[in-house]
Amino acid sequence: MALAATRRVPLGLLVPAALLALWELCARTAVLSPRYFPPPTAIGAVLVERLASGDLGGELLVTLTRMMLGFAVAAVLAVPLGLLMGMVRPVRDAVEPYVAFIFPVPKIALLPFLLILLGVGEPAFVLTGATSAFFQIVISTMGGVQAIDPRLLEVGRNYGAHGARLFRKVILPAALPSIFTGLRLGLGLALVAIVAVEFIAAKSGLGHLVYRHWQMLSTPEMYAAFALVGALGLALTRGLSALQDRVLAWQEDTGSL
Amino acid sequence: MTRARRWFAEHWLAVASPAAVLLGWEWASAAGLLREAFFPRPSTVLVHLERLLADGTLWNHASVTLARIGWAFALAAVLGVAVGLAMGLWRRLRESLDPVFAVIYPIPSILFLPLVSFLVPAGEVVAVLTTAVTSFFLIAFTTTHGVRQIEPRVVEAAVHFGARGVRLFTTVLLPGALPFIFTGLRLGLGYALIVVVAVEIVAASRGLGALLWLSWQVLKVEDMYATFLVIALLGAVLSYGLAALRTRLLPWVQDVAER
Amino acid sequence: MTFESHGHVVPALDRVSLDVAAGEFLCIVGPSGSGKSTLLRVLAGLHRQSAGEVRIEAEHPGAPLTAMVFQEHALLPWRTVLDNVTFGLENRGVARAERDARAGDMLALVGLTRFARHYPHQLSGGMKQRVGIARALATDPEVLLMDEPLAALDAQTRTIMQEELLRIWATLGKTVIYVTHSLEEALLLGDRVVLLTARPGRVSRVFPVDLGRPRGLEIRASPAYGALLEKLWSELRDEVVRAMSEERSADAG
Repeated sequence: MALAATRRVPLGLLVPAALLALWELCARTAVLSPRYFPPPTAIGAVLVERLASGDLGGELLVTLTRMMLGFAVAAVLAVPLGLLMGMVRPVRDAVEPYVAFIFPVPKIALLPFLLILLGVGEPAFVLTGATSAFFQIVISTMGGVQAIDPRLLEVGRNYGAHGARLFRKVILPAALPSIFTGLRLGLGLALVAIVAVEFIAAKSGLGHLVYRHWQMLSTPEMYAAFALVGALGLALTRGLSALQDRVLAWQEDTGSL
Repeated sequence: MTRARRWFAEHWLAVASPAAVLLGWEWASAAGLLREAFFPRPSTVLVHLERLLADGTLWNHASVTLARIGWAFALAAVLGVAVGLAMGLWRRLRESLDPVFAVIYPIPSILFLPLVSFLVPAGEVVAVLTTAVTSFFLIAFTTTHGVRQIEPRVVEAAVHFGARGVRLFTTVLLPGALPFIFTGLRLGLGYALIVVVAVEIVAASRGLGALLWLSWQVLKVEDMYATFLVIALLGAVLSYGLAALRTRLLPWVQDVAER
Repeated sequence: MTFESHGHVVPALDRVSLDVAAGEFLCIVGPSGSGKSTLLRVLAGLHRQSAGEVRIEAEHPGAPLTAMVFQEHALLPWRTVLDNVTFGLENRGVARAERDARAGDMLALVGLTRFARHYPHQLSGGMKQRVGIARALATDPEVLLMDEPLAALDAQTRTIMQEELLRIWATLGKTVIYVTHSLEEALLLGDRVVLLTARPGRVSRVFPVDLGRPRGLEIRASPAYGALLEKLWSELRDEVVRAMSEERSADAG
């Protein structure tokens, strides 16, 4: 048993390590053009240097702030709306067409409109991120309410819970896993949208860094920013899944992708 | 006919609400309550849409976008399902690739544009490959999960009744994973649209995303709305069209709330 | 048919040796953890035993040696009832016309002809189990293995199914090895009852069941049945208690 465990861990790290080593080799021997594919060690050096000097940290903070703001705006609006839509049929009927219409649309396509309305600046960027998260959260929340086992509601009413009480004690907890999943997915979507927006239209942030260094062909810096985005995304998805597992320990499966 | 009528009676709000909004918008824009420069009247937008259709602009751009999506999705689907199945079946492979995939998957696809442009000469291939990246991972992930969630008891019974090797694969593993593969394909297709629009905004002169961005740059707002409408339509068809196919192709699957 | 088997890494079974006559309905009863299911799986070829052998005299060349009816039916959800029943035959390369005919016969035997084109998820638990039985019978095995097939059903469905099993077996006369928790069920269905000890399972006793054939549910009211039940239970009880105390001490430890 112990033997199997020790073999399992290295394999997961072995392959990425091997790939990086291969890359290093190819870059140094010019099999891969070092201009376009600088060796990982060079990238690592730049990464460390820029982090230490605070430049990268600053840009990271910008991206994070935009993401969190966008997410917060989306969540504050979407969760109540989703709950309402799940519980009150007329509301759902009235709102669902818009949700269904916009949901499959690439939110990046909303950017030009926001730029016209709000000018090229933070509000437009943050809102684009917000819309990405918004629809996912609404849909997940509404779905969560709709999927509640009607028997739970019956039991609740039987024990004297009505209206607001029923909501607090039965509906909300029962829908919580779906809400949480929606929030988790929404945060990820917000990040993707913000980074994409930065790449296209902003003058700051990690997404913009990748773009700028691409244009200047300062590739080590570009990959460093790229890696940071990846790390951020990974930390977010893993961290939130772990959080969800902890908070909702009574649920069997978080359905995380 | 009565079925449609019954649906309408129950869901009249779903039709009335957007209709009311559009009418309200039309009126407010004409009356000057909404700045027409920012919120052109829906009727004007439709006129512009018609014009774009008539002079072929729309089709020029739309066909390019569709072609890119088509190629990217085909690539992502074939590779994604293949890799996903392999990862689902062979633990070693899965354990080796999982960390790599987990790191790459959350990265916004648009960021791969520079990488791809380094690898491949400029042109359509760059757009197609970039569009395919995240879809590939999505499809591979869901396919792997699809294989792994097959109940081991079912597999055992199948083996007991004589299914081995290729037969086991075609009669058990593949159909068992199919609902998930299908979901992955649906999501992958949706993602392809998202990425292709972003790529076209950044780096293309043709395509719906390019058209949208161009219209913005010259402040042809009505054209912007018209293009947006087309993109939305495309998104709806890709997303909901495939979903409708599901019940036809997978008759044994009870519905799971998924989107 | 003879089998002898020995346990595995964690000894599930310890020296089980039995002879089964053709056309016999043999029931195996034992407490939890006595390795009843393991024994069946060894017979089915799903498990490799660490020692000993299984010998089945094949009277019909071309027919599979065993076919198992699983506790949780284990049907393929993406296949219709009919296609599930023909599954074993498909894998043996039987032509479509013949397989469908045979499946049709089996479905008629279990009373599910009307549901041939349904999907498993549209059926109740009892019906799904009947499909499982039809599937196993369709391949015409030498020995039919049944792993607590009625355990997952509610009491009423279970009783109906027991009646069905008696009827089906009376019609086909197959050799059946039937694992169950329930002594009542074993006595109702079997020609002989094998009692296993608690882990690691050994054959504790083998009882012949002289309750006559053909048998029906009414046998449960007969004094002979009652007496047999008492006798067997007193033997089994000790083993069950032993198994339970083992579990308790395993928990505490």
